[in-house]
Parts: sequence; structure tokens; C-alpha cells
Amino acid sequence: MESMTFKDFATKWSMGLILIVAYVFLYMPILHILFASLSNHPNFPYPPDFNPKSYVSLTTNSIYQGAFINSMIIATCTAILSTVMGFLATIGVLRFAGRRALFYAVFFAGPLFVSEILLGISSMSLYYLVFGLQGNMVTAIIANSVHTFSFSFLVMAAMLYKYDWRMNEAAIVCGATPLRAFREVMLPLTWSGILGSLIVAFVLALNGLDISFYLLGATPTMPSVAWGALRYGVKPELYALSSIVNVVVFLAIIWLYLKVRADKTATAE
Amino acid sequence: MSEPNAATNKRLFLYVPTTFLFLFFVLPLIALVVLSLWQTENYKIVHEWTMMNYVTLATETAYITFFVRSLVMAILVSIFLVIVAWPIAFFIVRFGGKYKLIFSLLLAVPFLSGEVLRLIALQGMLGPAGLINGGLIRLGAAPLRFIMYSNSATFIAFVYLYLPMTVTTIYLSLLNFDMRLTSAASACGAGRSRIFFEVIWPLNLSGTIIGFLLAFIPTLSASLAPRFLGGPNGTLYGMSMAQQFGESGTWALGAAMGVVLVLFSVASLVVLSRAVNLRRTGFTGMER
Repeated sequence: MESMTFKDFATKWSMGLILIVAYVFLYMPILHILFASLSNHPNFPYPPDFNPKSYVSLTTNSIYQGAFINSMIIATCTAILSTVMGFLATIGVLRFAGRRALFYAVFFAGPLFVSEILLGISSMSLYYLVFGLQGNMVTAIIANSVHTFSFSFLVMAAMLYKYDWRMNEAAIVCGATPLRAFREVMLPLTWSGILGSLIVAFVLALNGLDISFYLLGATPTMPSVAWGALRYGVKPELYALSSIVNVVVFLAIIWLYLKVRADKTATAE
Repeated sequence: MSEPNAATNKRLFLYVPTTFLFLFFVLPLIALVVLSLWQTENYKIVHEWTMMNYVTLATETAYITFFVRSLVMAILVSIFLVIVAWPIAFFIVRFGGKYKLIFSLLLAVPFLSGEVLRLIALQGMLGPAGLINGGLIRLGAAPLRFIMYSNSATFIAFVYLYLPMTVTTIYLSLLNFDMRLTSAASACGAGRSRIFFEVIWPLNLSGTIIGFLLAFIPTLSASLAPRFLGGPNGTLYGMSMAQQFGESGTWALGAAMGVVLVLFSVASLVVLSRAVNLRRTGFTGMER
């Protein structure tokens, strides 16, 4: 490598400084509400104390419990549907699309370029106003899946494009059925991509407000209850809920990281 | 690849997701257009074809103001994000070493917390009694008025919401970029800024444009951030659209606003993607 001049050094660390400022900016609000959720003075929780009363009142609040169950159902079904569709799409584009790969890839990434609120409103228009159907969990799951589908597709495409398809063929030549080749060869090797897609789709559907809001009507979800509560001022329970979600997301991401790193070491050996 | 069932596979793997998207993504957008050409009276849909909604949107000053405000906001936010995201992404790719993956995954945590919870967190920072102003008051200083219930607060919120997305897109683009090209340019005598503007920037332009669009499009139609943080003069187009579907019950007009937003998103996509070559972005892998 070229030797470091002072100018290189200055460029490097001014970029580094922007990075540090950005990460502090991204994480400071999250830490702030974590402290606030644990404090007796939620508005200005410094120095931090540790009082779990907002968590206790969250668990005894029945509105949040119903909303939590609805959100979990939507998020789970969305994650599965969007990962299955995304998996088909990824393999379709990588393996079967040939010269039209780019066309299909752009089409499958399309929902990324239509904002969530527009997806929610347009789906509502279709189901409710054109067909006269009331919004329900099924339509909410489908509409959420359209949004997360693009994320699933991109996550899996990024992780699968180095996959060597000859492995499937080798397994089939050795006498495995295509299903067995998929289950015993392909699935273990592509598991981190699938896991990444499941996590991303699950969490996006769990925390997204706009899409579910327009398709569910009066059925509460966690984000819609949080949004409703905002009108009456932020309460410590909201901080507690938010902190729990952040910690869960953080752990899921760590899990994904360990999984990807384990895969890398396994291939390196 | 001459498997006997290749055609069946192709049908399954390509046509199933295509049908899924057509039914639940394209068809709703068509429904939105249809609805925008009808009318709503007293919370009921009147099935009469008319351009009235679009005339209203094009003539009433309030809607024009909201739209211009949204457009200016979206342009400012996305340009700012691109300028900030570049050094961050570049630093991670160039100097991140084995911590690259950690850095990029740490961006995903705030992104995945969802818009509502992130706005609550941000309100804890910016609000009248939040960390910044609370701290200033405690130190005996005057609170910063411009970060409370104003368009600046909304701007900060958009930067907060979409920074992870923009950084990730540019990061993926740079990750696929062959850094040896810069050494080659340097060996040929190019200076630092020339290497950047003639090698690094043009070869990562497509990733940059996608990053720009992924901030621009949701900002253009955002409804939650301005409603919560924007204050009295902060109404944006998406927020007004949400009100048509909520309180006012004028769905057809709201649908027309939705069509305007979709058309604008598509137009910005088409205009900017003339400069895009998807093969040079992080989302390759389609090329073998």
C-alpha cells in the first residue's frame, strides 16, 4: 500500500468522525428512551436510575396485550409468505430468468419504490372500495408481504448469488430426489439468507404502521396502539414497549451476525 | 442447463412471484387510479367518472403548497443523506476490515425498530422537555426553538429515518467496487480528487442514485413524521392524503393525491435510472 501522508490521514479520520457522529445520532434516541423507561423522571432521566415500574404497567395493560398478539400473527405470517415468495423469486432470477434477469429483478424490487402508505392506501382501495371487502388480517398480511417481499428478495439474492448450483446437480446425479437435494444440500448452505429474510420481514411487519393501519380498520396492532397513545402524550409504558422491541431487534441482528460469520468460517475451512 | 422439467421450474420460480406481485401490487395501484376518477359524497363513493379531484388538486393553493413543501423537503433530505452517507459507507468499506459486517448490521437495528417507535425516540430527544432542550435549560441556556414542532424537526426526523437505508445502499455499491482501480489510477498519476470524481463516483453512481431514491420516495409521501413533529406549518402532502382517508372521508380525493405521489415517484425513478446501470450496484448476482 501507498504510504500515509498527512492528507490521507486527515481524510480518513474526518470520514471516521462523520461515521461516529452518525452512529451516535442513530443510537442516542434509542438509549435515551431506554433510560427514560427505567427512570422515575422519564422526561430527563439523567443520572439514570433503575425502576422497572413502566414495564410492570405495560404487562398489565390489556390494550397492549391484544395488540401484541395481532402484531405477532401478522408478522409471523408475513415473514413466512414473503420469504417463500422471495425464495422462489431469487432462484427464478438467478437460475431461470436468463437474459430477462434484469427485468425480473427490477420488477421484484418494485415495491421498494412505492412508499408504505401508498401500498396501504392502494390495497385498501382495491379490497374495500372496489370489491366491497372489509379489511381483515388476511389482507393486512398480504399487503405487508408485498412490502417485505422486495427486502426478502434482495437479502436472499445478496446471500445466494455465490451459490454453486452444480451442488444440486451433483446431489441429483448421486441419486437424490430434487426435494432431498434441496433439503439436505441447498437449505443448509443458504440458511443464513433465509434466516436474514425471515428476520427482516418479521420485524418490518411487526413495526410497520401504515400498511396494517389502512387494512385492519379497528383491529389494534402494536404500532397503531403506540400511535394512538401518542396523541395523549408519550407515556413511560410506550418507552418500555419501544425499548423491548429495540432489544429484541438487536438480539435478532446479533444472531444473524453470528450465523453469517459461522457460515463464512465453515466455507473457509 | 437442459433439465427436462426446466420449463416447469421456470414457471414455478418466476411466474408464482410475478403473479403474486401483479395481483397484490400492480392491481391495487390500478384500483387507486380508478378510485381517483370517482367522487366521494357524505362518506360514500359515487361511481361517476370525473377529473374533479385532479382539478381540485391543481387549483387549490393549500394542496399546491403542501406538494411544493413535500417536494422541497424530499429533495433536501435526500441530497443531505447522500452527502453524509458517502463518507460513512466509504469509511466502512475501506477501513472497516473484519468489522464491516458489524458496522452494516448496526445500521439495521434502528431501521428495523419501525417508524412509530423511532419517532417516539426522536421526540424524546427533540421535544420541549427532551434531552437536548432539557439539557440546555438545565445548563441555564435558552432552548432551541427550531427543533420543536417545525419543518426543521421534520427534516431531522427524515434524516434519522432514512440514513440507514441510504448508507446501506451506497455501502453495497462500494462493496462490489474494485478498490484496486483507485490504486491503478493513482499509479497512473491521478490526484486524490481526480480519482474520486473520475473513478470512484461514476462507478458507484447507480448505487448512489438508488440510495437517493430510497430516501426521496418515502419522504415525498411521508405522513407520520410531519404530523407528529411538523407543527402548525408543517403539513406535507402525504399527511394531507392520510387525512382524506381518515377524518375527512374524501377517499377519492385522497386516491388522486396517491396517484400524484406514485406518478412523481415513478417519474423520478425513470429520470434518474437513465443514469443507472443495475449491474454496477450491490444488487448484482443476476449476472453469471
